[in-house]
Amino acid sequence: MISLTAGALAANLLLVGGLVALVAVNGLGHFWQADIAALVQSDGTTLLGEIADRELDSDESGQPRERWRVAVGNRDLGGSDFRWIDASQVTGESWPSDAGVLEREEWGRFYGFPVAIRNGESVRVEGTEPVWAALPELLRENRASRAAKVDALAAEIRGLNGQIERLRREGRDTNELQVRYEEAASALSAREAELLADVLVMRTADGREKAIPLSQVVRAVRANALGARGKFALYGSRLWEFLAGEPRESNTEGGIFPAIFGTVLMVMLTSLAVAPFGVLTALYLREYARQGIVVRAVRIAVNSLAGVPSIVFGVFGLGFFVYLVGGSLDSLFFADRLPTPTFGTGGILWASLTLALLTVPVVVVATEEGLAAVPRVVREGSLALGATKFETLLRVVLPAALPGVLTGLILAMARAAGEVAPLMIVGMVKLAPSLPLDGEFPFLHLERKFMHLGFHIYDVGFQSPNIEAVRPLVFATALLLILVVLSTNLTAILVRNHLRRKYAGSAI
Amino acid sequence: MQPAPRLEPPPEAAAPNPSAFPVATSRGRLLLDRSAAVLVRAGGFAVVFSLVGILAFLLVEVAPLFRGANVSEPRALSASAGPPELLLADASLARLASVAADGRVTVLDAESGAVQATLPFPVAGEILDVGDAPGEPTFSALLGDGRVIVVPVDWRVDYGEANARTVSAVLGTPVELPLEPADATVVAFSARARASGSAAAAVLSDSTLVVVRRTVRVNDFTGERDEQLARFQIPSPEGVTRLVLDSDQRQLYGADARGGLYWWEIAEDGVRTPRISQTGAPISALSLLVGGRSVVVGNANGDLSIWFRVQSGRAHAELVRAHEISSQGSEIRAIAPSWRKRTFAALSADGSLGLYHSTSERTLWRGKAAGEAAVAAVLAPRGDALFVASANGVRAFDVRNPHPETSIAGLAAPIWYEDYPEPTWVWQSTGGSEEFEPKLSLTPLAVGTLKGTFYALFFAIPLGILGALYTSQLMDPRLQRWVKPIVEIMASLPSVVLGFLAGLWLAPRLERYFPGLLLLLVASPLLALAAGAAFRALPARLRGRLPPGTEVALAAALLAAGAGVSIVLSGAVEGMVFGGDFGAWLQATTGLAYDQRNAVVAGIAMAFAVIPIIFAIAEESLSNVPKTLTAASLALGATRWQTLARVVLPAASPGLFAAVMIGFGRAVGETMIVLMATGNTPLLGWSPFDGFRSLSANIAVEIPEAPHGATLYRVLFLSALLLFMVTFVLNTAADLVRESLRRRYSGN
Repeated sequence: MISLTAGALAANLLLVGGLVALVAVNGLGHFWQADIAALVQSDGTTLLGEIADRELDSDESGQPRERWRVAVGNRDLGGSDFRWIDASQVTGESWPSDAGVLEREEWGRFYGFPVAIRNGESVRVEGTEPVWAALPELLRENRASRAAKVDALAAEIRGLNGQIERLRREGRDTNELQVRYEEAASALSAREAELLADVLVMRTADGREKAIPLSQVVRAVRANALGARGKFALYGSRLWEFLAGEPRESNTEGGIFPAIFGTVLMVMLTSLAVAPFGVLTALYLREYARQGIVVRAVRIAVNSLAGVPSIVFGVFGLGFFVYLVGGSLDSLFFADRLPTPTFGTGGILWASLTLALLTVPVVVVATEEGLAAVPRVVREGSLALGATKFETLLRVVLPAALPGVLTGLILAMARAAGEVAPLMIVGMVKLAPSLPLDGEFPFLHLERKFMHLGFHIYDVGFQSPNIEAVRPLVFATALLLILVVLSTNLTAILVRNHLRRKYAGSAI
Repeated sequence: MQPAPRLEPPPEAAAPNPSAFPVATSRGRLLLDRSAAVLVRAGGFAVVFSLVGILAFLLVEVAPLFRGANVSEPRALSASAGPPELLLADASLARLASVAADGRVTVLDAESGAVQATLPFPVAGEILDVGDAPGEPTFSALLGDGRVIVVPVDWRVDYGEANARTVSAVLGTPVELPLEPADATVVAFSARARASGSAAAAVLSDSTLVVVRRTVRVNDFTGERDEQLARFQIPSPEGVTRLVLDSDQRQLYGADARGGLYWWEIAEDGVRTPRISQTGAPISALSLLVGGRSVVVGNANGDLSIWFRVQSGRAHAELVRAHEISSQGSEIRAIAPSWRKRTFAALSADGSLGLYHSTSERTLWRGKAAGEAAVAAVLAPRGDALFVASANGVRAFDVRNPHPETSIAGLAAPIWYEDYPEPTWVWQSTGGSEEFEPKLSLTPLAVGTLKGTFYALFFAIPLGILGALYTSQLMDPRLQRWVKPIVEIMASLPSVVLGFLAGLWLAPRLERYFPGLLLLLVASPLLALAAGAAFRALPARLRGRLPPGTEVALAAALLAAGAGVSIVLSGAVEGMVFGGDFGAWLQATTGLAYDQRNAVVAGIAMAFAVIPIIFAIAEESLSNVPKTLTAASLALGATRWQTLARVVLPAASPGLFAAVMIGFGRAVGETMIVLMATGNTPLLGWSPFDGFRSLSANIAVEIPEAPHGATLYRVLFLSALLLFMVTFVLNTAADLVRESLRRRYSGN
């Protein structure tokens, strides 16, 4: 029977390890560029793409067969990004060195061979090799001219839009600005059309040609000619884009920077809100309260709060913070914007306060442990020297208990970062148009909705139409979230162990 | 998710009392000290306040669900010329039209009762009778020459100077429907008109039923109108005294004075023979609820019942008594349905008035209409006012009735909904049309919650408790320092990641390798036993030299290999035991379908979240069992296992029970995993191969779409309140158990 208990423990450890390894392998694999294969099938068609999976399967008659899942991209030419093929039907397999993959702003990846680069009707470069040679420079050029011509204008239009909105709210005349806005908008579309004139002509494996504007190309990779160093460089570049870039194609491609930013900012705000609350409660329980019915009530409240499902906090946050408090704030201070709600709808402030309520018990428990570890002799020494109780607390006890407070805060942050359900109803969105922190007065926009790593996983993984294609990205996001949560937790555990060891001998 | 942090009472006395050290202190410092004390106390109480505040807030949001309607004292509107036969109210509650027996329409100000206008009946002729059309702004009149005239009443809104809103009634183009009764007289009639066509039905004194239908087809291209008039006549049962036509003009309901309830279907080519149901007492009032499917029947004893058609067999349908309302005590004279909800008002011969809801069978309000006998009643289109007409004039009641459709029974017990063959539990909060009957039964969600929790605990209890047993009692303390943080890390895995893996990674694999999982469930205890046996078979000298934890590592290696082999053998097992296709076998032998995202998948994922909680609390209670007890047991010659089973486990059992309770609470409230790993189908069922929807996932799915303050919003708050109460009770009970356990052993 004892072996059963050992087995159960082994199973637990296996589960944790297996899960983390699964996410890590799949998530890290997302950025790796495999070689591009040209597969000739027995029916004469050729597929160009990366072999994503090989698995053994049995066909209708029960005979084993091998199936390959090939990432073929080219969504805009019809079909899906992935194709299952029967390995026994593949008659020729080659790794053409001139094949390439384009990452695009729209329509996902494109696999094919470059043919030419044209500007309107005139041909700028022709032939596979010359195009590969000229492409990086032309892409850079295109990007630079885009930055110079379009981005500034787009920023101006955004500014004008804001001004018009403000004037309209104040009931003032907006005609003059409207005219400027129209002018800027038409100039912008003209310049964008200009940029679209540079096109890269690609040929697919089955011989079709497709013209892709250079401004649509995010990255052009000649995968089979990269070599190991090139691939690692590409890996790094993609990883960087993932961490620091803006999302494309409704979050299914590109980076997740806004989600990282939203998560971090929300966690910060949460810890700001929860710290005083939790520390005061712990101080009360440990330093001020006499044991009795009240203290028991507080303890039961703390433990119950810890056990209440997170969705209940979300419901409370929606009803209390968003509708009651937010709605009142709106009618008091933002009546001119009604019926468009300002604070009367989900936002980062309400999300943070909701999570602060959720994480109070974590902070209380850790802080109490920290306070309990401060030796009694230290307090008595301070009191004996004439300090008041408050002075003793502030100058002697709290500094000594600081690691405990920190542990609590870090644990609370980890909990807040991993929590999704309550946030879905108090302010998280799939795609936030702007970050909650920017250069526009008052810089920190507490009322704005925000993006979140956890919601990103839920939304992209379950709400996007092309689950097959987005799964690697979701794995990468999940890995990032796990890493964030695990590293904060590990920090907390280390701080706590340090604390325990430090005071292990001195507790009375 | 973190494990629920547990707060322990202090093992030592509180800090020393500073007053024991009298020191001369300046007033400022003392003041600071005292205010700090006040602040800290306030902070301590703030936690209690937040808990109580959350509970109170949820209660406040939920309470209106179970309140009845709020009906004001009646206001008397000025007496109209002649006793009104029926009333029509404007949706904005500005005007009220009262139709007299001679077809004259008097328009009243619904606030003051002043007469705004008097409109003559638009068609010349002697008027024998007038009738209403429940749920539509029309009335009809029967002329002496056998014509039925349907008159639409349009409420025209004008914005005069300074945006003053004035509403006036305009009679629309009357629609003529000739009944051609020949020599017979009309006993009862009902008529409706809408843009696409109109119809009138009448029972004649020679026991025939006549239906006249005028269909209008407008050619979209030329604007040409093509009108067709059809007349059907069939024999009618004797004694029908009341008729009501539904708004689609396809179903006709009738009643006789003996209690018979009739239902005719009007097809394109004629009227079908009626289906007859016996209601038991003479019917005195008949009306239709919104949607036209439910017939409200009031009888001479004052009873009210709701009937609708139920398919019994392929072609056969009949009217059944679906809902009953407690008796109003005196003969029902008039029934006034709401246009939006399945609320209706009923007026009795003795002037008593009641407001009811069909689905929930609730009596929302009861009162007196007037001193004298009332003849007609109407609910305003939005259900926010009730007008009652008597010979002396009209009285107006303001009605506040936001949540008529919920009752405690309706949330838990089976309810008979329209178009359902029998009473059942359904959660379907929104539908395609305005006429949708909301179905808000929490039972399927509660069952779903329990189902998910069951499978989560099925995996989590053995793994969590046995693992804790080994860690606390048998493991080298140096390794304990590693294992506990690993389990803590397991607890911190965000549930959204677990849900994602369960839904997109595990579910498709489990669908393919389900026989492998069954194999693994059987094989893993055997493998663990084999690992233990192998370990003990090693010579004791060698065992002593192996690093601690070898036993666990050996078990882990065997289990990992077992899992791999199970997957490989899955196909073979499927072939041998399940005839090659588990899904088909399941369907054939048990009738259950295999959903890819089902309760087993969700249970496995939730077990991930629950194991660390059970493990942590169980480990703590097991460690708290005094070493003296185990030492004594071992000294008396018991084996390690005997000591564990007979001494440690009984001593720690309340703590283990508490661990399971807290794990249960955690599983009950889990949201993201259920949302992502199940199909989220709110269907009632216990099959492990079906998906389910839990209370918590239901909140996450529905609350973003629920309008603030609406019934759905409050019902979702009610589910949150339920979750709150369940977890509160579980946690508090677990806390008390653990505290008493700790006190029992703290002396050692």
